[in-house]
Parts: sequence; C-alpha cells; structure tokens
Amino acid sequence: VIANRVLLGAALVILLFYFVVYVVYAGNLIRFPFDYDQGEGFELVDVLMFSRGEWPYADIETYPFYGSIYPPLYHVLLVPFAWIFGPEYWYGRLFSFLSTLVTSAAIGLAVYREGGRNNTARFIAVLSGLAFLSSTIVYHIGPLFRQHISMIMFEVLAVVVLARAGEIEDTSRRRGQLLLGFALLLMAGYTKQLAAFTALGALVFLFIRNPRRAIFWGAGFAVVGAAIFAGIDLATGGHWWTQTIVANVKDFFPHQAEGLLLVFIRLHGWLLIPALLLVLYELYFDRLSIYSVWFLTVTVLNALAAGTWGAGDSYYATSIAALCMLSGIFAARTLNCTWGFRPNYLSRLLIDPFRRFGPGIAAAGMIVIPLFYLGYARAVFHMPTEGPIFGEIATLLSVEDNTGYGFHDPDGYTTLAYAQIGHLTTQADIDAGYEIVALMQQTDGLVLSEEAGFSLAAGHDVITNPVVLMILSWVGAYDSSELVGMIEAQEFTLIVLRAQFYPAEVLQAIGEYYVHEREVRMNGFDYIILRPEP
Amino acid sequence: MFGEDFTFSKKQLGILCVVLGVAGLLAVLSIDILDAGREGGIGPAQRIAIGLTILLTLIGLTLIPLGDDPA
Repeated sequence: VIANRVLLGAALVILLFYFVVYVVYAGNLIRFPFDYDQGEGFELVDVLMFSRGEWPYADIETYPFYGSIYPPLYHVLLVPFAWIFGPEYWYGRLFSFLSTLVTSAAIGLAVYREGGRNNTARFIAVLSGLAFLSSTIVYHIGPLFRQHISMIMFEVLAVVVLARAGEIEDTSRRRGQLLLGFALLLMAGYTKQLAAFTALGALVFLFIRNPRRAIFWGAGFAVVGAAIFAGIDLATGGHWWTQTIVANVKDFFPHQAEGLLLVFIRLHGWLLIPALLLVLYELYFDRLSIYSVWFLTVTVLNALAAGTWGAGDSYYATSIAALCMLSGIFAARTLNCTWGFRPNYLSRLLIDPFRRFGPGIAAAGMIVIPLFYLGYARAVFHMPTEGPIFGEIATLLSVEDNTGYGFHDPDGYTTLAYAQIGHLTTQADIDAGYEIVALMQQTDGLVLSEEAGFSLAAGHDVITNPVVLMILSWVGAYDSSELVGMIEAQEFTLIVLRAQFYPAEVLQAIGEYYVHEREVRMNGFDYIILRPEP
Repeated sequence: MFGEDFTFSKKQLGILCVVLGVAGLLAVLSIDILDAGREGGIGPAQRIAIGLTILLTLIGLTLIPLGDDPA
C-alpha cells in the first residue's frame, strides 16, 4: 500500500508539472498577437465576419477571394468577444484553453462515476484528467485559435451524457438526457466535421443497447443536422457545400498515416494497454460501454483520416480523451478490486486457472497501475529548456533542446505531419510580427498576405484564404483567373508568403511578376516579403 | 429486434460482426473485380480495410459462443 501511494504520488507530481508547463504555454500564446499555428488568423476572420452578420462561405473566385472550410459554431460562440474587443487572438485561445479544462474535468467525472465513486476513483479521476492535458498532442493544440479542441469538448460531453442515458427508468428524464446528448453531438459536428466519427460511435453503442431507440433518435439527429446543413447551404448559395465538403476530400498518404499512428502508440502506449484490456474485458466478460465503442470507432477512423493532406497528430486527440477514460476506469477498478468475470468458455480458459493467485495479482496491480502512469509520464516528457525556471530545471535534469526552439518534445518535431509547435514565443517573435505589420502600413495599395493576422493589425483587407483556394483548385472547383489577373497587373504592392499554400498558377504568377525583397523570421518560420518587379 | 426492451446478446452481436466483416471483405475485394481497368492492384487503403474486416469477422466468431449474455 505504501509503495502504491508513493508511486501514485510521484505520477501525480509529474503530471502536475506538465499541467504547469501547459498553463505557461497557454499564457504565452494568449499574449502573442499573431498566428502561431498557420491558419489561426483565418479563424479570427471567420469570427469577425459572423460578428458583422456575414457568412465566411463566400465566392472565392472574386475579390477578396475568401472562403472557410470549417463549420461555424466555434466562430459564432466567439462573436460577443469580437463585438467587445475587436480582432484579437487572445479570446479564441483562452476559449480553447478553457475547453481543454472542461474536457479534462469531464474525463475525470466519467472515471469517477465508472471507477467506484470512492477516494481511489477520485484520485485516479484526477490523474486521468491530467493525463489528457499531458499528452503532447493535446498540449500542442490546446490553446490555439482553432476549433478542433472545442469539438473534442462537445464530443466528450456528449459521450458522458449518453453513457448511462438509456438506463434511466423515468421516461421524461431519459428523453431529456438523450436530447442533451444528441444536441452536444450536433454542436460537435457543427464545430468540426470530424465529430461525425464520434456520432457514429455513439449511434453504434445505442444500437447495440436498444436498436429501436437508436433508430428513432438517430433519425431525428439526422433530420435536424441535415436541415441545418441545407439551411446554411441555401443561405450561402451553395458555397457551404463546396467549401466544407468538397474542399475536405483530400489525397491519402499512407506514410503519413503510418508515421502518426506510430507516434500515437509511442506516446500513449502505457495507457493504451489498460484501455485495450478494458475493451477486451467488456467485450467478453461484461457489457460494452459507450467509452469502448467510441474509442474503437474514433481510433480506427481517425487513424485513417490522419493520412489525408492537411491532417496531423491532432486527429488523435479524441482517441486520447477516450483512452484516458478507459485507462482510468481500468486503474480505479483494479485498485478497488472490483473485477467480476461472467462464466463462459473464455473465463474457464483464461481466468479460472489463475483465481487462486487472486490476492497476488491484486497486490501486483497496486504497483503496476501507478507504473502505467509513470511510464506514460516518461513517454510524453516535454518542457521548455530555456528561461529563468525551466532553464534551471532542464540543466538540473540534463534535458536538451531537441527541436531547435528551446523546447524538448518527445518526438523532436521529426514525424511527418506531427505539429511542430509547443515551444514558447519570444519578444523577438512579436517584434518580427510588428516588423511585417510596419511594412504593410507603409503601403497604401493592396497587400496579399498568406496569414491574416498581419493584414488585420495593419488595417488592410484580408485577401484570400490560401489553403481553401489551393485545395479547391486540386479538385477543379476553383478558377484562379481573377486573382492571377490582379497579380499579373501588379495590383498588390506587397506580398507576404510563408508555406506558399496557394494554387500552383497563383504561385507561378507571383514568381513571374514579383521579386523577393527580404525575409523576416518569426516563430522559426521565414516570411518572404515580395514587391512588384520593376 | 425492434421491441421496446430488446438489446443485443453477445451471440447476436457476434453474428452481426461476422456478417458485416464478410460482406465488407467481399466488397473491398470486389473493387478490383468491378474496376478491372484500375492500375496498381490492392492499394494501402484496401489492405487496411481487408485487415479490419478480417479482424471484425474473427471477433464475431469468438463472440458467438458467449450465448445470451447481454452485449
């Protein structure tokens, strides 16, 4: 018992350290006034457009060539902030950060509820919530001005609400809970399309438990979801369909999918073991829970989706939430010794011969469970390696910067499509951003910037959402004639490029009619400044 | 099956998994038969799908002997 408590205490201390790192990272990003992850500025533009009563799903072939590939809920929720504070990054990042805390609490609640509702379950619930925030995949995107993490919050809340809804005897209470669960699923789906996988997992679970109820509620869910979809499509003249559906059909790269799957396993293997053991237990010796069905569904489907162009490690974040729940429930039940096995051919083969070792296995469990969390803590080890406090800790622990950004990441930013973020921004990065803004302010003409934040800060029009144009050009759904014509006529007095995610013909025109003036380095990325060729 | 209190048993879930697994496997394999002009044979996505359908079938087969226990 003493060893168990010491080891669990050690796991708690390490996971709390990661929580401190996460809070520092979030605080750092919330103060940073430009794009940290490319695309954040366009999320902000979506918010600003909604705040003016405009749809961001507009005609991308005419000036200002702007469109959005994401559903509206995250942006709509931020509209009041835009009304009060204007074009700022901090409120979107703060909202995302708070979303991760809500998700973490919901994971803890599920573990506490299913793990025995006692002090042990409460402690493991805290560890499970912290484990979610400690995953570098969650850490990377947690405080970004992106909608992905809010989608996960709605998904997790929906699953927690639906978990025991079907068991409620009182009809009106049961219906109320199912209604809330499906409303949360709709909210997740209208935050980001990937939530469709969670909706599928929830429906499969409900179908196994009661097909009649699943079909009734599933049909209602589909009708409401389709009605909203059709309404937005009608209101945007079909641009909603083109930009949120057509633009999301992208090429599949097997090597990317494989690399991200291996990273996911490497980072979370220690918690995957208990999570999969619980799934097997439920499959063969108990009833399947929504958590198991959800975990299997989203892990398989997101692992495949992670191989598409533009996808990344964040596609596993929903699976991480599910595995934190499952591993937590497994841990709490092991420490509480509350396992029971139905008599069947498998229990006779695999369980009965070992029953006499029960007390020994229970004692081993007291040690193994904390080791799972310590192993996980080791696998996701990450921290800044510079600065007044982290620098000293890094020196003390001999932790090296393996990213080139004063940050130690368990992957070292090496895997294809693994997000190369997580390091802290510096005053030099802020100065570099304002340097680009100053260049823009010195010109009265139009400015084409690959990131919207500079244009917003300089008071220029935001022209193009490059990735949307590029993806739609791949599928033949974008005619770049007007934009290319403006480039050929040198109507832009300044162009700012970063990743060069424009259609090929646009980049070709820029190459022909503009000259490279200089580069400005911000967050480790070189922003290329171009002027019209004389 | 559509009764007010119906719930799947392990056996029924196993049969469903076997049916879906076999049907899925045939569907994935038939892509090459129906789309004979396509180049490259069985691609990586197809290989993954084949693996998943075989796994689903095997899980189904192991669930069937569990009888009437609720799934």
